[in-house]
Amino acid sequence: MKRPFGVKRPPGVIRLRNRPVPPAAPVPGEVLAEVEGLSVRLGAREVLAEVGVRVRAGEVLALVGPNGAGKSTLLSVLAADLPPTAGCVRIHGCPARDWSAPELALRRAVLPQSASLSFPFTVEEVVRMGRAPWTAARPEDDDAAVAGAMAATEVTGFAARPFSALSGGERARVALARVLAQRTPLVLLDEPTAALDLRHQELVLRLCRERALAGDAVVVVLHDLGLAAAYAHRVAVLRAGRIAADGLPREVFTEGLLSEVYDQPVEVFPHPRTGAVLVHPDRTGRPSA
Amino acid sequence: MRRLPTGLAGALLSVLALTLTATACGGPPHAASAPPADGASAPPDRVEPLAGPPRPELPVTVRSADGRELTVRRAERVVPLSGSLSEIVFTLGLGDRVVARDVTATFEQAAELPVVTRGHDVSAESVLSLRPDLVIAESGTGPAEAMDQIRAAGTPVLVVEAATGLDDVGPRIEAVAGALGVPSAGRELTRRTEERIAAVTESAPREGTKPRVAFLYLRGSASVYLIGGRDSGATSLIEAAGAVDAGAESGLEKDFTAITSEALVKAAPDALLVMAKGLESVGGVDGLVKIPGVAQTPAGMDRRIVSVEDGVLLNYGPRTDQVLTSVVEQLYGGGEA
Amino acid sequence: MSVLEKTVREPVTPAPVRGRRTTAWLLTAGLVAGLVVLVPVAAGTGAYPVPVGDVLASVQHRSGLGGGELDRVAESVLWNVRFPRIVLALLVGASLGCAGALMQGVFGNPLAEPGVIGVSSGAAVGAVAAIALGLNFAGNWTVSLLAFVAGLFTVLLVYGMSRSGGRTEVVTLILTGIAVNAFAGALIGLFLFFADTAAINQITFWQLGSLSQATWPKVLAVLPCAALGLTVAPLYARRLDLLALGERPARHLGVDVERLRIVLVLVIALLTAAAVSVSGIIGFVGLVVPHLLRMAAGPGHRLLLPGSALLGALVLLAADLTARTVAEPAELPLGVLTALLGSPFFFWLLRRTRRRQGGWA
Repeated sequence: MKRPFGVKRPPGVIRLRNRPVPPAAPVPGEVLAEVEGLSVRLGAREVLAEVGVRVRAGEVLALVGPNGAGKSTLLSVLAADLPPTAGCVRIHGCPARDWSAPELALRRAVLPQSASLSFPFTVEEVVRMGRAPWTAARPEDDDAAVAGAMAATEVTGFAARPFSALSGGERARVALARVLAQRTPLVLLDEPTAALDLRHQELVLRLCRERALAGDAVVVVLHDLGLAAAYAHRVAVLRAGRIAADGLPREVFTEGLLSEVYDQPVEVFPHPRTGAVLVHPDRTGRPSA
Repeated sequence: MRRLPTGLAGALLSVLALTLTATACGGPPHAASAPPADGASAPPDRVEPLAGPPRPELPVTVRSADGRELTVRRAERVVPLSGSLSEIVFTLGLGDRVVARDVTATFEQAAELPVVTRGHDVSAESVLSLRPDLVIAESGTGPAEAMDQIRAAGTPVLVVEAATGLDDVGPRIEAVAGALGVPSAGRELTRRTEERIAAVTESAPREGTKPRVAFLYLRGSASVYLIGGRDSGATSLIEAAGAVDAGAESGLEKDFTAITSEALVKAAPDALLVMAKGLESVGGVDGLVKIPGVAQTPAGMDRRIVSVEDGVLLNYGPRTDQVLTSVVEQLYGGGEA
Repeated sequence: MSVLEKTVREPVTPAPVRGRRTTAWLLTAGLVAGLVVLVPVAAGTGAYPVPVGDVLASVQHRSGLGGGELDRVAESVLWNVRFPRIVLALLVGASLGCAGALMQGVFGNPLAEPGVIGVSSGAAVGAVAAIALGLNFAGNWTVSLLAFVAGLFTVLLVYGMSRSGGRTEVVTLILTGIAVNAFAGALIGLFLFFADTAAINQITFWQLGSLSQATWPKVLAVLPCAALGLTVAPLYARRLDLLALGERPARHLGVDVERLRIVLVLVIALLTAAAVSVSGIIGFVGLVVPHLLRMAAGPGHRLLLPGSALLGALVLLAADLTARTVAEPAELPLGVLTALLGSPFFFWLLRRTRRRQGGWA
């Protein structure tokens, strides 16, 4: 565990001059973020307890669970937004609090649940904000990253429109484009599909797979278990602030576990043609109309 | 600062506005200052110049009230920065040399002159644009920056100590006359004015207990009264009329103090001294004596109200005898009210 | 082939950005040109007539480039009355404009203005106290000095009180500001109560805002604050852009939000307190100027911050020129003029923005 500059830098002004150094490309399987014995208390409520999760390069990790289970809180801890009450958080091998904000910005990108903007910047300007951490990058690289991210999320068509004039789904894709343009090895997405139509939900998760394939680590909070089953390499199920299960989708998604975690009967069955795991609420007991 | 009654009106209106907006003062200022009311004056609002205009003997070097020495070489274009000072220059017989007036100089001979200042609001540039060869100011005329800028342009500035009472009349006349190079005219005017004032003072009844007079500042019928204290400037006028200033007597030092209706009742003044516009704003004497607080005082019950034009009440100068005469008449004349 | 790789080769369309960049250059050039024209006009206009030709001649003479000296009064009016006033108008306008843009950026709220965090009301308390209590320990400087110190102190107080656990919530900050502003209003009322008439008169004029008391020493007093603030502010332009995304996203993009906010609140306080202490309260410049620029050239702070300084200077110089000439030879209070023109204009802006974009965000 070595600090990027070896020695602890003096606080204050001097850091302004020191350009943060981007991380080396991750080795497949390398742990890019991990929490151990994590507890988080917000006010009197224990939101997370005894949580341990590892996020590895080259895989998509889906965080699923009922409302209030602590998915977003866990994502915030992994993003180094929220200090743990107990336990430790490591990002790229170092305790989260040891990184400066500019250093972290080169190592992890975060998509918040809802995207807002105080001033009417255009779509392209917003996506370009994702390049802000790359102070030393060449302008061509910035342009390429921005154009690539916009094309991938299908927002190039309204690049010149003000962000405030977009629909909810369009805003969500622009926000995602900004996160992609940041080009960090660790990508944390909080419900990226919530506002999207069917086609764009698929598109976003395909993008997650691609990033993982390219060697990055992707953590994605999802409500749609079908999407999680189809695209995640690994799934962590949270229940009341604890990890209820962590493993391959086909191992984790069992009728017993899901029915219990969600307090709702759930059916799990293979797709008749492809054999892929399908998760469906069991509606046989519902009152008939 | 010389407290010019008309300036006072604006100031106090602003207080009201400020008090209303005080909680919102982080925002833009919306307390527009009411421009000092134009002294709509009674018909004989004229000064009485000395017979035979004196011939200034210049240059003269005099000492100003601010401690500086100044040399006046010419006095062809004179700018007095208050109504009271204008009055002195005109009464000395040098009115034809005055090229502008303060908004408070409302007497007939000066009324046509362009207004260059509005009390506490001197613009150096406006004054200099008149190319004056002598500027006469009160000790409180400001802002100080503007006065410095006028001096920096090489214009002599005579500062005259602000008047607070009858005793200041003579020294003020003589200070102005000295700087204009007409000291003998100054002495003559001082003598004339002091004789007239003395005559009025002697005419005031001396028998019995002295009436207690409260100087009230009125605007509308809000039951908050501003009562004149020791520094209001009216004390010596009230005393010359053979009365006692109730405000000063009760130990108030400030020029004006806000008191409640009940405090006014407790002070129990025998008469009230008010300014004409203030009286008008409460609906004349009939309106005034009905206001709670006033109604319960001996002054209110006897309708013993002394009203003086706003523009002249505190203008200690060559016309103060007229003011005093009017006060004495109203105070003892059985009250025409 | 992945979606990403495929799209990287597609040509980039930088048209909107480039368009805005051109607008930015044109706008900057226009503002500078406006100042270059307006300054000599303002120097030549006023109750004491000095033709623009004479102004230029006198400036040339003083800078040793020929020209000629004017007569003593004209020379004195020009150099002791008008130039200090013009320079002060430029400095105060630039400070207020830039502080307004910073304020809106820092709080991510287009309706924020420096008054929100208590600079103006704090400065007012200082000035009113100095006038009402007749304090005179620093001569003519007492009022300005006390206004400046009280303005800065109030901001630090607001900031300190709204900080907890090393973090500052914007809403807490604004609510604290409201409470402190109300308290300051009460203090002003109290001082007014104890003030005598002359002091009340002076307080009224101070609160109305005016540059009529401009002198070179005042220019020199404001200059370091304005220079420091106007130099530091553009260094934070990019980070302010990011802050528009919200606090957390800005932090995710490498902005140390808390430090950014401390530094910029201090810069705002410095700029505003210095301006207010010499000119009284001049409203709406800080609020309207950044809006105008955003309408013309977009919300990017790299243009907005220096542009607001330039436009603020231009607007205040024009307003002051109007204030001192429209009611010649008397003078309209500058703060009254800016509020009189600024508030309906701002209302129009609000309506227009609602119509065009359906709101601010």
